[in-house]
Amino acid sequence: MAEARKTRESDAVLLDMRGISKAYPGVQALEEADFAVRRGEIHGLVGKNGAGKSTLMGVLMGIRDADSGSVVMDGQELVDASPQTMLDAGISYVPQHINLLNTLTVAENILVGALPKNRFGLVDWKTTYADSQERLSRLGLRLDVRQLVEGLSVAERTMLAIAKALFNNARLIILDEPTAALSRVDIDLLFGFVRAQQEQGVAFIYISHHLEEVFEICDRVTVMRDGRIVGTREIEDIDVPVLIHMMVGGGVKEYERESTAGAQVAFEVRDLSRRGAYEDVSFALRQGEVVGVSGLQGSGVDELAQGLFGLERMGAGEAFVDGAAYRPDSPRAAFEAGVAYLPQDRHRYGLAPLRSVRENVTYSVLDRLVGRLGVLMRKDEQALTEEYIAKLGIVTPGPEQQTLLLSGGNQQKVVFAKLAATKPKVLILHEPTQGVDVQAKVDIFNIINDLSAQGVAIMIISSEVRELIGLCDRILVMYAGRVTHEFSRAAADMKPEDILLAIEGGAVDADA
Amino acid sequence: MKRAEPNRLAALMVDNLIWLFVLAAFIAFSLLSDRFLSPYNLGNILLRSAAFGMLVLSQAYTFITGNFDLSVESTLGLTAMFAALMLVTTEAGGLGWQLHPLLVILLMLVLGGLIGLFNGVLITKVGVNNLLVTIAMLFVLRGATYGISPGTSISFFPKEFTWLGGGTLTRIVTDNGNFVLSVAGIFVILAFLVGHIHTRYTQFGRNMYAVGADADAARAAGINVDRVVIIVYIIAGVCAAFAGLLQAGRLNAATPTLGANLIFAVHGAAIIGGMSIYGGRGNIIGAFGGVLLWSILDTGLNIMGVSPFWIDVSRGLLLLFAVLLDALRVRYQHNVQLRLALADTSVGLKDKGHSDG
Amino acid sequence: MRMPERHDLLEFLSRHFIWVVLAFTVVIFGLTINGYLGLANIANILITGSVLGVMVIGQALCLMARKLDLSAEGTVSLVAVVAAWLMLPYRETDLAQAGGLGVELDPLIVIPFILLLGAFIGFLNGFMIMKLNMNFFIVTLAMQLVLRGLALAISEGAIMPGTPAAFNWLGGGRVAGIPVSVIATIGLYLVFGFVMSRMQFGRKVYAVGANEDAARASGFSPARTVILVYTVSGFLAALAGWMLLGRLETSVPNLGIGLTLNVVAAAVIGGVSLKGGEGSIIGAFAGVLFLAMVNNALNLMNVDPLWVNAVRGLIILVALIIDAQKSRYRGRAAPQASADAQKAAAS
Repeated sequence: MAEARKTRESDAVLLDMRGISKAYPGVQALEEADFAVRRGEIHGLVGKNGAGKSTLMGVLMGIRDADSGSVVMDGQELVDASPQTMLDAGISYVPQHINLLNTLTVAENILVGALPKNRFGLVDWKTTYADSQERLSRLGLRLDVRQLVEGLSVAERTMLAIAKALFNNARLIILDEPTAALSRVDIDLLFGFVRAQQEQGVAFIYISHHLEEVFEICDRVTVMRDGRIVGTREIEDIDVPVLIHMMVGGGVKEYERESTAGAQVAFEVRDLSRRGAYEDVSFALRQGEVVGVSGLQGSGVDELAQGLFGLERMGAGEAFVDGAAYRPDSPRAAFEAGVAYLPQDRHRYGLAPLRSVRENVTYSVLDRLVGRLGVLMRKDEQALTEEYIAKLGIVTPGPEQQTLLLSGGNQQKVVFAKLAATKPKVLILHEPTQGVDVQAKVDIFNIINDLSAQGVAIMIISSEVRELIGLCDRILVMYAGRVTHEFSRAAADMKPEDILLAIEGGAVDADA
Repeated sequence: MKRAEPNRLAALMVDNLIWLFVLAAFIAFSLLSDRFLSPYNLGNILLRSAAFGMLVLSQAYTFITGNFDLSVESTLGLTAMFAALMLVTTEAGGLGWQLHPLLVILLMLVLGGLIGLFNGVLITKVGVNNLLVTIAMLFVLRGATYGISPGTSISFFPKEFTWLGGGTLTRIVTDNGNFVLSVAGIFVILAFLVGHIHTRYTQFGRNMYAVGADADAARAAGINVDRVVIIVYIIAGVCAAFAGLLQAGRLNAATPTLGANLIFAVHGAAIIGGMSIYGGRGNIIGAFGGVLLWSILDTGLNIMGVSPFWIDVSRGLLLLFAVLLDALRVRYQHNVQLRLALADTSVGLKDKGHSDG
Repeated sequence: MRMPERHDLLEFLSRHFIWVVLAFTVVIFGLTINGYLGLANIANILITGSVLGVMVIGQALCLMARKLDLSAEGTVSLVAVVAAWLMLPYRETDLAQAGGLGVELDPLIVIPFILLLGAFIGFLNGFMIMKLNMNFFIVTLAMQLVLRGLALAISEGAIMPGTPAAFNWLGGGRVAGIPVSVIATIGLYLVFGFVMSRMQFGRKVYAVGANEDAARASGFSPARTVILVYTVSGFLAALAGWMLLGRLETSVPNLGIGLTLNVVAAAVIGGVSLKGGEGSIIGAFAGVLFLAMVNNALNLMNVDPLWVNAVRGLIILVALIIDAQKSRYRGRAAPQASADAQKAAAS
């Protein structure tokens, strides 16, 4: 059988990437990566954030130049890679957020730029609709071509984007987290469509954090970690725990923090339920305790964070801060109750990028900085800003620098400073280390440590399980809207494999 | 994949809101005044707003691509004044060239096109904001109109010239008076028809929509976005020049203030006709509905003896009403989508509230 | 962490672009035009700039909050007409001259009334935009049509001459030889300069304009802030209307028409970005000064008054083109600076 597989591999290779390396200042994003895709296979590509998946795909799409290595498509080496040469070679990318002409019909989206004409040179709409309908039905895709794209569901848009790629003679399609915003029904629909195209000989690279789905749809899977390819396996040869083990590696803790948890409960949530987001969520945070919450997109973690901070409705159930009932209807109310939130998308919810570090740091405490008649006390403001620049080690030419000119890590520290300045009792951090460099990461861990030592109860929502293990006293896992598992340092059961398995919805027997 | 069965009738009404307005206004004025339905008045509706209609057409073009051109009202003024200067004798205030009307018309259309080209290049190639460029051009062109004018109005144009703006094609005599089929009215209808065919049935027209829907996606589809935008500005300039010729012809006079301060009413007509300032939406026929609605209001109120000064008020209120309806529609659609998304999950059923509004 | 000198200089110049332009303007006109820098002429520049200046403050606030108020000139027309209508004695309309309603209210009642009316119009704009989710461009455009129409309808297109002296004080009066309108305008700039840089309200406006979502997550209420901005804008437009009517002493139909576009141009030349969150009141003031100085110089240079508009438009156009180059330059510079900061952070 091994023999047979070998021959199959050699004559069926569609894409062969060899020895791809790519370095950024201070980071080796890719190191000697070998990656191959067979004709007509669905190839999973998994790895944690920052493992190098997007850099590798960037090289494949021609938007990143590799420092070394070769890309061979269908036996032809692709030199001088540009997005156009990659498209011409039949490589197409379908992003999570799809760019289509939303105000126009499906038919026009398919035939844009080259609509069929009648003998007077005018657009022949009848043929346009018939043509596009016929093309779609050839792919087995049932869509009303006269419908506007803005009226399509996300799954339908994804399928339309795949179809468009196929009409442009794509033979290898990269799907980036296509199911993140889909319900189960829509996932089945999408998978059915992808399988049908596979049978026609189209190959897919399937990038996803949902490992169950990888097992459901992929033929093979490649695991990346720290810029390297850990390995490629036939899907029938492995299972979820093995895959997780490959993703996690040796399990070296990046950071180790002593527990500072006190005895008194600072924040408690009882039976919280919000329609379509989460249900029966109960937990308590003690003063100085750091608790991680982890779950896939759609598991309810993101909604929980926003609900607890008043950015969205909190839903049914109750919450308490220091024993006092807590039900925020706006971020303002949350701040006043002593709850602060570090948003996941700092560009959208965190920063006013055109404004200075000073202004950003003091936004949430302006009330405390006003003297008579609403005049801001400049000296206090200046002192506060400088205090936090020093405390958090924000690297900036000065407090008047526009935050848009800072690095990602320093921008994140500015948002931290804004929250810490409110002197919160409860701090909810949402992916605090996303998009920051290694040095800034350690700084942020230290900030978390300092705050917890001061008695702040901290809840970290993160998919970086290894980081959570180093930082947290306990880790809660959410799946399908519910808290399904709890791991704790006290019980010594915080093993990355188990936690990841729980995140993926698997049963963990460590509880027993 | 459940999807709300769209209420067909409601959708049809929302898509054709402008025609409901037109119909309602038409019926209302017919009931309120017996003179409204007279043949003379019906013939007049389009004649009075012919130049206005051409400006709306120019904005419809720029709107489809997600752009603005505030300067068209000044282009109207400048081309009217320029044409007048070249047509009449020195005694009548002109330059005394007395060029052939056909040549003048041609020159003015070229001038309008050049103005549009200038706008388009500044916006696409130099990168100046489209609102600001066309505001500045609005000043420049209006200023130039004053500058070249002899300070007074110019009149006494040759017949061949006024035929376009004020001429009569045919007159149908009825018991209630004459139905006058004006050249300008027919011209505007034809212009909109050509515009409709151009935007609906040519590759270029569809590229315009693609650019307005999503410039990046259009670029990815191989469309030369800058080129499309520049050409659209040229077309807008030519339409505005036509407007100038029609207006001068109808009034048989050119004054430096011709067309001044029209632009907001023009935008209003295009928007109530279903065009979006964000591009990619609406169609030329709808914009024509906007022109019709505005001129029905104009003539209707006029016939009822309402002071013409109330016309802008009614236009503004109607526009506000239309935007309100649109905002409500967006909110409704959002709620429907939310409900559909919730119907797919069984999570958190304890929570009874389900609207995030 | 020091960036190269050239970068600093260019950055400085691009940030204070309007002042560089203004300095050039003063030097060139001062050297070439006799009496340009004389006291009388400076007063002249300031008087003509005052109405525009007052309106620019309101518009600048809207732009900083990433909005636009096209209705301001409509407010100017309406409050002027309403004020004259309420104050002047009744009289049959003849020869396009009209009298008032006949109630002959005291200016001391009329003035607060029109200011409140302006503020209310602004509030209405803000309410429709933030609470009913209506598009700000179209709302203020439609409001402009309504207000202008109302002004015409009330005045029936006729002029109403002879507003009372007490009312005219703001627009035409002088204190110690200095025009009241100039004092008031400069005062307003000082007040709003202070409000925008040193008070909570200003901070919120910039925050909302720079990033509405982040402002909300920082505990601000964007709806409240924006509604207040429009209310202030309406109030200032009413003040400008009062000032203008006081200067002319006659209500003219279409008073203030076409002002909005001038106002937007002045604010943008003064460095207030259409994209929100940027610019300063003092910069906007410079923009107003620039336009007023150019107007004045064109007059003094005996440029045919009929051509003044065209030349002014051209100057605005040139300023905008230079401004666009500036944004392009900064667009390139930002990632560079960010990379520099990153390197500094890594080392």
